[in-house]
This record gives sequence, C-alpha cells and structure tokens, in this order.
Amino acid sequence: MRHVLTLALLVFIMSVPGCMRGPIMWQRLTLNQPIVEEQVDFIKKGETPLSEVAKELGAPDEILNLKNRLVARYHFIDTRYLRVDFGWGLRFVIPYYSPDLVLGGGGAATNVFEVACDSQFVVQEISFAFHQNSSRFKLWPYGD
Amino acid sequence: MKCVRPLLLILAVAILTAGCAFVRGTYGEEVKPLDLSSIKKGTTTRAEVASLLGAPDRIVEVNGHEIFHYYHFDMKSGLIIIFSRTNIMSEDVFVFLDGKGIVEDIVVGKKKPSPDMQFWPFGD
Repeated sequence: MRHVLTLALLVFIMSVPGCMRGPIMWQRLTLNQPIVEEQVDFIKKGETPLSEVAKELGAPDEILNLKNRLVARYHFIDTRYLRVDFGWGLRFVIPYYSPDLVLGGGGAATNVFEVACDSQFVVQEISFAFHQNSSRFKLWPYGD
Repeated sequence: MKCVRPLLLILAVAILTAGCAFVRGTYGEEVKPLDLSSIKKGTTTRAEVASLLGAPDRIVEVNGHEIFHYYHFDMKSGLIIIFSRTNIMSEDVFVFLDGKGIVEDIVVGKKKPSPDMQFWPFGD
C-alpha cells in the first residue's frame, strides 16, 4: 500500500510541472558574445576602414548617422532574473486558492563597443561602454 | 518489490525531465554568401541589391550615402525545471550605396558561431 501511495504521489508530482510554474526560477538571456579590448588591438585610428573591422569582429549591430560622421555599434546584452514564489506550496493545502507571494528581481546589462568613422568610413575613434555589473540575480527587491 | 524500484527510478527521471523545454527561433532571412558575392562594388545598383537580397530591413542615410541594413537573429533557449537560459546571436549585413545608387562598400563580418543551447544560467 505504501508503494502504491508513493507511486500515486510521484505520478501527481510528475503531472504538475507541465501545467504550472515551479516555486523558483533562474532565468538568463544573452545577446551576442562580448568583445574584449585585446580583440580590437588591430584597429588603427585614421587608417583602418570599417569593412576591415567588420571582417575581424563581425558586422556591427547598428550604424548611426551623426552629422558628417558615422558610428557603428556592437551590442552585447546579458539579462539575469531570479523569482521565488513563497506561496507556491499553499496550493497543496488550499486547493482552490493559491496566492502568489513572489520575491524576485534581476537586471539587464548592455555592453557596447562603438566605432566612429569619418565620411570615408575610416575609423577615427573607438570606445567601450561597460554596464556588466547591472546584470545580477536579485532576490530582495527592496533597499537601494 | 523488485519491480517497484526500477519503476520509481523511471518516475524520478521523468519528474526531473518533466519541466524541460528546448526552443529555437530565428528572425529575418539569413543572407547567403553566394548572394553577397554577386554584389560588385562600383557596378551593382540599388535595384539589383534589392532583387538579390530582398528589401532591406532598415535604411540609414549618412552624408548622402544610403545604407541598406539586413539583419538576422538566431535564438536558442533551454529550460530544465527551474533553470532557464536563452542565447541570441545577431548577424548583420550593411550595403553602402553612393549618391547615384551604386554599391560603394559592403560591411559583412565572418560567420558567427550559432548560439549555444544551454539551460544553466550561471557563469559566463
């Protein structure tokens, strides 16, 4: 009888995850692989054309027009999110009412590598913008 | 008793894999290298670019130059029980046209690797 009950419980638990969200969820989303400074050592300001940069690093994700120059931007996004539902277990105690008591949080980080070119598409400036630290799993949504 | 243990093991594996999802999606047409090789700097016209690669996803104007922007996204997402990770890789092509609508330059990178199918959200 004990085995039958165990099996019944297992079958029940097995059928549950497919139709409802679990109590804890770690999620992450990334867009592209980051470029590091060593990878851009080949770029010489005033000499390297944008097409050569693209051959080495891949085509940029965006090209912007700024007056008489052009800015090519490479984006890398890293997003982390953690969610814990403390009310999840109550559905087994109160069948028809299962309140969500959720704490959770996360952050999205966008790193950008920018290549500024002149009107002949020759690189004039390069720069990195790092915001990597803003991508974190955060359980506690309060405070600073 | 002998048949219950394997059954429990099978059920345990089934439970562990019950909350699984592996998904793949793409956005936009992938530009084929063969089509790109047909575009010649200084001779190919705007209309020919459009017939080879299709209408651009975006057009940018820079100093009298038109830039045709084509993009393609490849996404792979893995979910196992409580862990989920989605990786997206973008592939872009830019075709620069001069004031007369003739191809001046093509900015295309080497083929990026396909995104990894992962579910573990920690680490790099």
